[in-house]
Amino acid sequence: MISPPFREGVKAAVPIWVAYISTSFALGISAKAYGLNLGEIVLMSALVFAAPAQFAALEPLASGKPALQILLITFLINLRFLVMSAAIAPYFGRVRRAALLFSSHLISISTFIIPYVHFQKEPRKQARADGIEEWGRSNFHYFLGLAATCFSVWVVGTGFGYWAALHVGPGFKEGLKFMLPGYFACILTVELKRKTALLIGMASFLLAVPGALLNAEWGWLVTALLIGTVGWGIEQWIQRGPR
Amino acid sequence: MDPARTTIIVGMGLVSYLIRALPQLFLAGRSFPEAFERYLRYLSYALIAGIISTNLFLAGPRFEAGAAPHRALALAGAVLVASWTGKPLLGMLIGALLAQTLSWLW
Repeated sequence: MISPPFREGVKAAVPIWVAYISTSFALGISAKAYGLNLGEIVLMSALVFAAPAQFAALEPLASGKPALQILLITFLINLRFLVMSAAIAPYFGRVRRAALLFSSHLISISTFIIPYVHFQKEPRKQARADGIEEWGRSNFHYFLGLAATCFSVWVVGTGFGYWAALHVGPGFKEGLKFMLPGYFACILTVELKRKTALLIGMASFLLAVPGALLNAEWGWLVTALLIGTVGWGIEQWIQRGPR
Repeated sequence: MDPARTTIIVGMGLVSYLIRALPQLFLAGRSFPEAFERYLRYLSYALIAGIISTNLFLAGPRFEAGAAPHRALALAGAVLVASWTGKPLLGMLIGALLAQTLSWLW
């Protein structure tokens, strides 16, 4: 039986499906261009479920680079999921470990940010009053409804993109490329209210590109982590006040 | 499917899964201090903002100088619409339309 939070999660996922369709299409098209076959790219989408790591792996895979190098790239690019997974975990309360083990595979940037923002709208004190178990289960069902459908769209979209690779005109590349980053930017615009969070977002947006140009592998990641840490540190320092 | 490539893809899946699963196993149900939760939140915002600009303005290690002005304009339009209406999806669609149209015009 489908619970109301699960249905709510599915509804919240619809905008992500729209963005995923274009990106997974692009991934399928790129995979075909690099010479991977349909089974390989669909398997990759099902097992990795992370656009940046998948895009980054296409060239090394196609050119026969060492396995260790490809695994290292995947690890470094996906390291951000460690933070996201840690950040979202407390909202699942006391959900069973087997279920958490299953669902953790579904964490991606989009399937993290929407539930995370949603969970923060519900005060934790209220959750304690209603019962931590029920609160965690409700959050988990919401996440599952959103993430499982996004995952399905991602895998099917990749396969369909591969199949359609020869039929999509290159004239629509710009609009497709814009969709995913554009959607993230719009979500942040609507959700970021706190001044520190806004400043951190702006600084990271402006400095990530110079960081990436300084060092193609680590640059933007280190820059973003530094900005987040320094912004938080300054806020902590100001809040403590003079002693 | 090529067996060597398939093995690497399975390895990529395993690496990705472990990164996602370990915090779920060891941190689920525990509450962090408020300051630490805020730190994780700020890190995520910074990472997402970084992903936005690098996805939009870079092609691999190269800055796409030719496309940057119209993509920046499209982003500004999308953000304005989202901020004004409170609807991220509408903002994204307007932005994508702008990006596509401007690329045809320039």
